[in-house]
Order: sequence, then structure tokens, then C-alpha cells
Amino acid sequence: MIKKWISSAVVAATSILGTTFAQAEKEGGTLVMIVQPEPPSLASFVSTSGPIGLMAPKIYEGLLDYDKDLKAVPALAKSWDVSEDGKTVTFNLNKGVKWHDGEPFTSADVQFSIMNVLSKVHPRGPNSFKEVTSIDTPDDHTAVFNLANPAPYMMRALSAYESPMVPKHLLEGQDIKSSDIANKPVGTGPFKFVEWKKGQYIRLDKNEDYWKEGLPYLDRIVGRFIPDASTRTAAMENGEVHYGAYGAIPNVDVVRLRELDSIGVTTDGYAMINPVSLIEFNTTVEPFNNPAIRKAISLTLDRQFLIDNIWFGYGKPATSALSSSYSATGLYAEGMPNYPGRPNVEAANKLLDEAGFKPDADGVRAKATLDLIPYGEDWRRTGEYMKQALGDVGIELDLRYEDVPSWLKRVYADYDFGMNVNYFYQLPDPVLGVHRHYSSDQIRQGTHFVNSSRYKNPKLDGLMADASKEPDAKKRSAAYKEIQEILADDMPVVNLHEMKFLTVFNSKLKGHELSGLGAYGSFERTWFDE
Amino acid sequence: MRNFWKLFKRNRSAVAGLVILLFIIVMAATAHLFFPEDPFRLVGRSMSAPGTNGFLLGSDSLGRDVASGIAHGAKTSLLIGLLATIVAVGFGTIMGGLAGYYGGIIDDLLMRITEMFQTIPSFVFAILLVAIMKPSIESIVIAIAVVSWPAVARLVRGEFLSLKNREFVQACHTLGMSDIRIMLGEILPNCLSPIIVIGSLMVATAILIESGLAFLGLGDPNIMSWGFQVGAGRTLLRSAWWIVTFPGLAILITVLAINLVGEGLNDALNPRLRERQ
Repeated sequence: MIKKWISSAVVAATSILGTTFAQAEKEGGTLVMIVQPEPPSLASFVSTSGPIGLMAPKIYEGLLDYDKDLKAVPALAKSWDVSEDGKTVTFNLNKGVKWHDGEPFTSADVQFSIMNVLSKVHPRGPNSFKEVTSIDTPDDHTAVFNLANPAPYMMRALSAYESPMVPKHLLEGQDIKSSDIANKPVGTGPFKFVEWKKGQYIRLDKNEDYWKEGLPYLDRIVGRFIPDASTRTAAMENGEVHYGAYGAIPNVDVVRLRELDSIGVTTDGYAMINPVSLIEFNTTVEPFNNPAIRKAISLTLDRQFLIDNIWFGYGKPATSALSSSYSATGLYAEGMPNYPGRPNVEAANKLLDEAGFKPDADGVRAKATLDLIPYGEDWRRTGEYMKQALGDVGIELDLRYEDVPSWLKRVYADYDFGMNVNYFYQLPDPVLGVHRHYSSDQIRQGTHFVNSSRYKNPKLDGLMADASKEPDAKKRSAAYKEIQEILADDMPVVNLHEMKFLTVFNSKLKGHELSGLGAYGSFERTWFDE
Repeated sequence: MRNFWKLFKRNRSAVAGLVILLFIIVMAATAHLFFPEDPFRLVGRSMSAPGTNGFLLGSDSLGRDVASGIAHGAKTSLLIGLLATIVAVGFGTIMGGLAGYYGGIIDDLLMRITEMFQTIPSFVFAILLVAIMKPSIESIVIAIAVVSWPAVARLVRGEFLSLKNREFVQACHTLGMSDIRIMLGEILPNCLSPIIVIGSLMVATAILIESGLAFLGLGDPNIMSWGFQVGAGRTLLRSAWWIVTFPGLAILITVLAINLVGEGLNDALNPRLRERQ
């Protein structure tokens, strides 16, 4: 029995290690990473908040993991099988996996995690698992998902970050949202939670009984909270911290730090997140109820200027409602109208003239207030640029920059806005990240980051509903081409640029980039070369 | 008046301050002549060093002219400084005057309110007020006035207290003059000098508070100001020093000039200091 477990673990481990086993990994060492801001809890099964995502996937595991090309690789499930009709998915679980408190991990935990936790209290879980009607557990190491309709996107939402497996024996019968393990997590992952010093750090130690033999390499991970950006940069520069992701080090400092031999910079590790900056329009009020002005705005803006001057060259102009990173799955469509390579002021003026937005004596065609996502200076600069650029075509903007709660309330609860600069995670599948923007059933007053444009298009709703159930890749990409054409023509949302977050790391740190989840990965194969 | 000027010009540094201040006022008034474009306008290559690409003082991260920003920002700084001071002095004088003149329960009540405001750290309070009201010119003026008036009220109350028992005031009472007339016509003119002095110094403080707020991102996003320029450029200090340095110098020089003028006014208007050399 034990022998069998070891062999299967070795097989699993080596299959994941793939190309990197040639390097000689060294054991030991303490990794200090920047966690910013301090997370509200470590309950990754309740919240998708960024800082939780940095720590929790080291403690919890998912059924699957994803490699750099976003291909599913085994994690808690050593193999899986999707039935011909796409409505039954069987996961074979690894044997000998134990929770950090010593209890065995079984298929009952999977059933409980999906049905009682993730589909109930997770922000995106109800959407990811909406087709799951039940989960059968024929034995301790087999979990069978029964689906009402095929759900190809679900297979991309099973990572430790997106859908962590949680211990049934500690959560059952409790109020999931306020249970003890929110702050004292118990998982199956490579690192165990040890200590949380409020305002300072979270400490995780190596799980000596980890089911993957020989892993993890690191002895300890410390997540430090450093509120001030220049202090973070200094800490990275002098080697006090080894790893900072999701813009922990501002781009302007990265430009300087990347010249140092001791510091490495990468934009890898964000493909799962897929962030895109954009403008949301309130399509129910003047003047933005007219698609012409929305299209004119898209035609006027110089996306490359924003990338060069505000993001220091990190980013890619948006060319469609879907990010070009979906070209890997064949869903991205090229050559959409109204997304010009260079700004086309002439076409924008023509469009506005034809739509009846005539300039008055001061050359003003329309007035509006532009709300800006209050996440820092970069967004203010974006607003200042837009005010100038759109002023040139006669759209006069007033800028408004509020605190986070007022802004969220204004845009997502009161709908008291005209246009709003924001960014959305498109996630690895449009069903998970993009539909929420455009689908009319996602007009959910009070819920953040959904369809605040209140855009309603029955044809588009139908196309999206079909596309989410379509198991055939070719038909699916055809459906998304049509969806993107409709959106490029109607523009309830104008995408600005595909954001490139930066991960800055100490060059002694190796193996942190192996997972498609980047900083939200498990770090089980991360090690220090010194 | 001639007498006042004679007393004022005895203080050389005050005259220097006045010259600088006049220059800044002229700069603010003529900004639109020398820099007809909107100061937010992206007019050239971003982050050009001073003297290159046609920028006298360089350009910022979006290619805006730093010199144009300073000229137009002068208008904002002076305007906010003056407006906030007028509101604060006006309100403070009323509160202090009433408290000092009537005394008793009115004095107690008004002074306890004043003290309540004085116990709150003024800059933190200003940040709070602007954050609640959403940043705009009006909210900034109100916030600065709200944190500045208590000092005026205390000063005016003291002056009123000492003047109300003087013979000329008592004579007014016997003549049957109304309270309002005595306060406005008799006592107030006699305590104008210290009010002018505290008011002039308050303009400098108001400019500093406005710059501080704008630096923290709480300025009116639609209006160019020096604090905004410093705040927007501070992350670039190591790669483009000129974006923060010139507006920072402008703030320094203006505040210094106003303080020198205030000091000169104090020397000239304060009878106890008239003989000071």
C-alpha cells in the first residue's frame, strides 16, 4: 500500500516537474514575499481578493493545476476523464493525501468543497459550477461530477487559487463564512499555516508530510505586508524580500531595478488572470446611450501612448472584447472594427457628426463625467490623458476620483455614472471572466464587477449561453467570433489595453514561474540557488 | 498710508517678499498670455529635460509643460489661499467678536466649540473633510477654512475682551449706540492690525495645506496646481527630477514671500513694535 502510494506520488511529481528536473534544486531557505495589502482573511473559498490569492494556494490545493501554457496537469486528481457527451466528469484522486491536521483527504471532501462551499459562497464558484447537479463518490478516491450541460470552462476553474479543496471535517455544520479556518487555514498543500502577526507578516512552514515526495524545497514562506511603495522597492533592492508580484513594485521603479544583476523581472504568470483595462459606459443615460459616441471614443484614444507613458511599456493595446491571450484557445478574433491600431480622430469626428453630436460655439459636442478606478496614480494619469484626447473631438470630460467604497457604490449599486475607467480579469475562459460584463442576467445591482453598463442584447445573451455549453472547439470559436463582432459594433465597454503585471524577484530564487498561476501558484518547486 | 509705507519699508526683507509676491501675482494673471494652452495639454515628448524639446522647465510623464503648469498653478494656489483665508477670517472674526463682546454663557459656548475644532490635528481634519466631500475647489476651500478659523476666533476674542472695557467704548454705550454699531464701527477697526497680520500668514498656510492635499491626491483633478504637479511627479524623482523640483520651489518661494510680507505688516501695524529697528 505505502509502496504503491510512493510510486504514484513519484510519477505525479516527475510528470509535473517536466522539463525542469535537469536543474539541481537545493532544499532549504526562507522565502520572503511581499503581500500587499494585508489580506482580510485566508479564506480563499470565500473571497478572490488578490492578497489571499498570494498565500492561500500554498496551503490549499485544487483538483488540477495548470502549466505555463494553461494546460491542465494533475494535482489532487491524478487523472480525469470527460465522457463523450461532456456531461460526466470523473476525477481519480491521489491516495495517501492528508490534511495538515492528519485526517485523510477523500472524495467526500471534494463533494463538500464543490457543492456546499464553492457553489454557495465563492464569488465566481456559482458561475463556474452552475452546471454541476451532483457529485457521486463511489469510493474514497473517485469523484464523479454529473453536469446538466457540458461545461468546458469548468475544467479551467479547478486550480488551488480558483477552487480550493477544503476539509469537510472542519467545516461541516458550521457557518462557512465565519468559520475558524478562515484565519487558521488547514489544507493539503506543501506549506502549513503557522502564524499571522497582524500588520506584519504571515508565516507558513514546510509540510513535512506532504504527499509529493521530496517537495517542497523551501523550509518556510513569509508573506510580509509593506504598505509604502518606495519601502517595498528598497526592501527588494537590498535583498530583504525576494518576491513581489501584481505591481508590488511600481513600474517606474522596475525600469530601474531591472538593470541590476541581483533582480529579475517577468510578465509571466498572469495568463490565468488575464487583466484588461477598459471603460464602462452607462448605456442608459445621455450621451452614452448612443453607440456612436462609444465607438468614437474607442477610435480617438491612443492606446500605445497610455502603455508607453503610464505603464512604462508594459502592456498591449486591446483589439477586441476578448484579450488576445485567448488566441491560445482559438476564441480570440482578429481585425475587429473600432479598435484602430493608431487613433483615428477623423473617423471619430465623422461618426459624431453623423450621429448628431454637433459642436457648439466652443467646439463641445457632449459633456460627461469620467470616473476613475481609485487604485492609484496610474489611473489618474489615464484619466488626465483621456480628458485631453477626447477634448480634441469635442467630448468634454470632468474627472472624478473618489475613495474605493464610494466609487464601487456609485458604479455598481447606484449606477450614478456616465463613463468609468476600470480593469477586469478576463480569466482563462470568457464564460468565467467576460460574460459577466455583457450578459443581461449579470445586471446585478449591488454586485461588484458585473454588467454595470446595463447593456441588454437578447441576441448576444443567446450566443453566450450557447457558447458556454458548446463542447466542440471549432463551433465555440465561431460563436465567439460573432460575439466579438457584435461587441465591437455596439461597444457597451471599450477595452483599452491588455495589462501586463510585473513580478519582480531576487535572481537567486528559482522555480517560482513554473505554474500558469504565477504568484497564485503553490511554490512547491521554488528554491534558492545560493 | 504714507506713514505705513515708511514703517513697512524699514523691513528690507518684507519689501523683498512683496516684490516676489507681486511677481507671482503678475505671473498668475498673465499665465493665459504666455501659456495660452490648457496646462493639462500633452504638448510634446514626455519626460523631456529642462531646456530640451522646447520646454523651458521640462515636461512631465505625459508630456505636459512643467512651466505652463507652474504659471497656471500660481492662479490656483493664490486663489485657494485667498478664498480660504477670507472665509476663515470672516467666520473667525464673527465667532471671536461675539464671544469677546458678550462674554458669559455665549463666550463659554462659542469658545468650547472653538476648542473642539482646535483639538483635532488640522491637516488630518482637512484630509478627512475633502475625502468626505469629494475633491473640488469648493471642498478644498471649505476644508482649509474649517481648520483655520479657530486661531482667528481666539485672537479676535482677546482683542474684543481688552477693548470692550475701554473708555471710548463705554462712551458709546452711554450715547446709546447699538451693539452691532459698537462692534463693527468702534471695536473692529481698532483690532484690524492683528487680523490683517494673522490673515496674511494664513494665506501661506492655506497654500501649504492645498499643496499637501493635492500631493496626497486630494486636489481637484480638473485644476492644475503646484501640489498636484509635485504629487504626480514624486514617483519619478529618481528619473526626472525637474517635474517635482520646480513646482516645489514655487511653493517654497511663494510661502516664504507671503511670510516675509506678513512679518513686515506686523512690524508696521503693531504699535508696540514701531520703534523696533
